[in-house]
Amino acid sequence: MLGKRPQWAYIVARVRVMKRNLIPNEEYRKLLNMDFNEIVRYLEETEYKREIDELSYKYSGPRLVDYALSLHLFRRYKRILDVSFGAAKELIFEYLKRWDVWNIINILRGKLANVPPEEMEETLVPVGEFSYDFYKSLVVRDVDEIIKAFDRTPYYETLSKVGQIPLSEIEDELYKIYYSKITSISPTEQALKFFVDFIRKEIDLKNIKTILRLKMDEVPAEEIVSRIIPGGYQLDVDEARKLAAMSFDELVKSLEGYWFWKDIEIEDSFSRVEIKLDAMWMQDVARRANYYPLSILPVLHYMSLKKLEVDNLRVIGWGKWEGLPNEVIEEQLVVV
Amino acid sequence: MAEIKPTRMELIKLKRRIKMATRGHALLKMKRDGLIMEFREILEEAKEVIGGMVDKYNRANERITLAKAVDGVIAVRSVAISCQYEPKFTIRRKNIMGVVVPVVKREKIRRKVSEREYGVVATTARIDEAVSAYEELVDATLEVAEIETTVKRLIEEIDRTKRRVNALEYRVIPSMQEAAKYITFKLEEQDRENIIRLKKIKSKMAAKEAEKRAREEAAAAAA
Repeated sequence: MLGKRPQWAYIVARVRVMKRNLIPNEEYRKLLNMDFNEIVRYLEETEYKREIDELSYKYSGPRLVDYALSLHLFRRYKRILDVSFGAAKELIFEYLKRWDVWNIINILRGKLANVPPEEMEETLVPVGEFSYDFYKSLVVRDVDEIIKAFDRTPYYETLSKVGQIPLSEIEDELYKIYYSKITSISPTEQALKFFVDFIRKEIDLKNIKTILRLKMDEVPAEEIVSRIIPGGYQLDVDEARKLAAMSFDELVKSLEGYWFWKDIEIEDSFSRVEIKLDAMWMQDVARRANYYPLSILPVLHYMSLKKLEVDNLRVIGWGKWEGLPNEVIEEQLVVV
Repeated sequence: MAEIKPTRMELIKLKRRIKMATRGHALLKMKRDGLIMEFREILEEAKEVIGGMVDKYNRANERITLAKAVDGVIAVRSVAISCQYEPKFTIRRKNIMGVVVPVVKREKIRRKVSEREYGVVATTARIDEAVSAYEELVDATLEVAEIETTVKRLIEEIDRTKRRVNALEYRVIPSMQEAAKYITFKLEEQDRENIIRLKKIKSKMAAKEAEKRAREEAAAAAA
């Protein structure tokens, strides 16, 4: 089970090859100077060609790019799972279970918003515990049946509250379940420790974003604490309670010293702060991945970079389609 | 002109009406000028408010595009649909130179992130920014609705007043003056006819008198 020594060398070698196909940072500038059609043509010359070709008979415009990127991300993650084995595969699989939460939330939101099933299907990234066919069968059912389908899973108890409590609380709870399952593992060996620490740092990042987002909006401390994910690396519930009780200026000052807070200035637009935090996170992962090259860290680093690449391309695609100025699009890119 | 009775009473009535119409014309002219001045002031304000709304619309569009790109189309759509909160406002009335215009009293539309219908962990700040931008846009739209209605009503009133001023100036008052002139002319005509008639009667009577006197003188001479 988890914690067995995996054969990282093989998997990391495969991931390194995949990493070479990532779009280099300098290419984003080129993409910014292209129009939407040129961007699609550019993507057709990269590893996204297959997905764009597959979906172009059904969709056009930014939706084509959006859905093609989701499909590509799913395939890339699936590929990593396929090439991995043993305990490594189990760890990667645990990591990818976050997409179950993403898919469940997307289906629930889609159902409540009367989104057509085909459109919901295109946004699925079924690389977690549940298969694509399972999700495909869910999108055509009603909400009660969807909840019943998760009977005997850790998500059932929370999902059964749909309709009784706001969806926002259910969404947050589902993520807490995902993270708590991983943080409850007590690492017995190095590989597992790297993985759990990675997740705990990710929790820190989510928590600090939550605290700052809500604090900027002057939400009471208790309410902020209720949204905190337990098990952070430096930012657990008690620490978060302390920070949430401070005034905003004090909070920002006291963030100095945390691993994720380095030369970050608070701006009017919090999304820019989020981008800086994400960039900081990626730098941290890259540093640790270089330090421990034969571990799960290079794999997680690649998966995070791939997700960032997809997000960046999506921002460029939608931004160009809607005619946003290049500076606005550029501000929203996470370039590491 | 045929229906007008050329009597002195009618002339007196007509003169009174002309006087009243002239005073009304002057008042309406003043009202029109006042309304135009008020309209110009509100127009400047309207330009500013509408310009602000357009800016807010562009910003909201920009923010929602980024939210769609980062959080996904479905997340944005479900956040939009799950938003049950409707903006509340009350409409009162204000009087600008006799024109009743609405005053929209808006309640706070902006809500805290924790009061909104989406999770904080599962979304990014782009959604918050998009929602905030749209909240501001709704507020600006209500402001524009108020000022646009005011401008519309003022334009209608200016138009109506202008039509009244023009009708009085070019139709009602001249036609009444024409009628008064006609009556005066008719009355003078009647006076002249009377005088001639009297003169004729007088000359006939004088001729008769002379004839009678001549007959008496002839009778006296014969006797």
